[in-house]
Amino acid sequence: MSRNKPAKRPKLANEGLVGRLRFFIDRALLNIRQNVFVNLVTIGTITLAILIISLFMLVFVNLEGVANDWSKRVQVTAYFEQELAPPELAALKSRIQAIPGTDRVTYVSKEEAFKRFRERLKGQELLLEGITTDVLPSSVEISLKGASRNSDAITAYVARLKKVPGVAEVQHGEEWVRRYTTFMNFMRLTGLLLGGFLFLAVVFIVSNTIKLTIYSRKEELEILSLVGATRFFIKAPFLIEGVLQGAAGAGLALVILTGCYYAFLHNAGNFLSFNPAAAGLAFLPPVYSAGLFASGVLLGFIGSATSLKRFISV
Amino acid sequence: MIQLHNVFLSYQKEVTALHGINLHVPRGEFVFLTGPSGAGKSTLLRLLYAALTPTRGQVVIDGQNVTRMTRSQIPHLRRSIGVVFQDFKLLPNRTVLENVAITLEVLGWGKQDINKKVFHILKQMGLEHKINATPLRLSGGEQQRVALARALVNDPKILLADEPTGNLDEENKDLILNIFKDANIRGTTVVVATHDRRLIENSHKRVVALDKGKIMEGHDVAQ
Ligand SMILES: Nc1ncnc2c1ncn2[C@@H]1O[C@H](COP(=O)(O)OP(=O)(O)O)[C@@H](O)[C@H]1O
Ligand SMILES: [Mg+2]
Repeated sequence: MSRNKPAKRPKLANEGLVGRLRFFIDRALLNIRQNVFVNLVTIGTITLAILIISLFMLVFVNLEGVANDWSKRVQVTAYFEQELAPPELAALKSRIQAIPGTDRVTYVSKEEAFKRFRERLKGQELLLEGITTDVLPSSVEISLKGASRNSDAITAYVARLKKVPGVAEVQHGEEWVRRYTTFMNFMRLTGLLLGGFLFLAVVFIVSNTIKLTIYSRKEELEILSLVGATRFFIKAPFLIEGVLQGAAGAGLALVILTGCYYAFLHNAGNFLSFNPAAAGLAFLPPVYSAGLFASGVLLGFIGSATSLKRFISV
Repeated sequence: MIQLHNVFLSYQKEVTALHGINLHVPRGEFVFLTGPSGAGKSTLLRLLYAALTPTRGQVVIDGQNVTRMTRSQIPHLRRSIGVVFQDFKLLPNRTVLENVAITLEVLGWGKQDINKKVFHILKQMGLEHKINATPLRLSGGEQQRVALARALVNDPKILLADEPTGNLDEENKDLILNIFKDANIRGTTVVVATHDRRLIENSHKRVVALDKGKIMEGHDVAQ
């Protein structure tokens, strides 16, 4: 008999990143097949968590959309100290145009103002009898650029506008904008907190369910360690298992969300006669969906990593 | 190959399983570790594959001081040591092939090579017809040989076995002893812990006797 050469290794099929990864993924899939129930529980938990977070996001995205829409109508109106002749008016307009944040400046003459007023009183024109077109002042209406449509920027803008010579009074929907900004900030904060708590809760649950699958393989882990498996070798399949669970859970949640959205669209006529598209209800932008998917994967990974940390001491 | 310098090991503060062990096993030697139950044989083996670290003293394996190894170095040590555990530690819901393959999977071998090598060693052990059976369907002697196959499949530098003939009949004992001897002839250093006097007497190998955690003077002999 020939003497041993120390552990001569043949050309390894499992060598290199891809081969290794394949081996670990096979192991993870085997784990999943042997623990179907526990895996379904974990995936279900992740699905539910992502669904809740995504519903919240959907609401948020749509509120933000509405806010954006409305803020386009945010206008600042400036009234003059006295009626202006056309050349003075042009000069004033260009001075206003020069203020940063100004989008468009439109002159509203006395006649135009009266016409608008009359349109608002449609059906009750009698009230206007005897009133001349002179009664309303002329003004300029200023629409703002997107970046200036929040309450802080508007306040600053108005302050500058008031300093323009010839401008007597400035009106704008400040209160409304302020409330909306506050509300959106509140929503953002609630979302962040809610998301954070959900994330922690799910990490806890996932880590415990994965602990169950690890526990059921305790013997195998011990033997692996005794025949010289590195910690990485022992852990990798479980980490992949967590990532697969996270991906499956998040994927499922997104499918359910998309399904519900289109079911609403489809049945718009009869289902509570609510049509999300007609109502301008938007679906999650791709970036958000991708983010949700990524956080599902992260959930699975962290859940499995934390349970392994408590388990594998070899 | 194996050196222990003044090794003490206490499980708890009170229980001292090993008292100042000095032992040198040269490369390629075959040693029986003997002594009554509770003498510290299993404990000594556990020190060798780094499942325990000594309370005091040094353990040196193949020129490496195990006592000073970091956690990430231990797997590499274990890859060069085959261990046959007293309770076999076979996975009950895996086939014989899968049980033996574990040793090579850990080394990163490919499936084809693993299957070839595992089949080869199981044939040596006379188990080629049980390759797809699960351990629970095997006799005690067959399980012992599967455990041996797993320990030897990567041609380790050192083979450790704890009471390998525990409940076996004479025929199986001879079979196992011959497998140890074959491995030893091919260059593996072998340490077998046993209190089976007949096994020792038949083998004509060095015997190290332990009692109450100490090596008995004058009993470390080559028979
Ligand atoms: N895990 C353990 N915890 C505490 N004491 C132990 C443990 N294992 C062994 N011992 C004690 O260490 C001593 C040596 O045991 P062991 O090495 O198993 O002896 P042997 O294998 O020679 O029968 C005994 O007194 C035993 O009770
Ligand atoms: Mg023992």
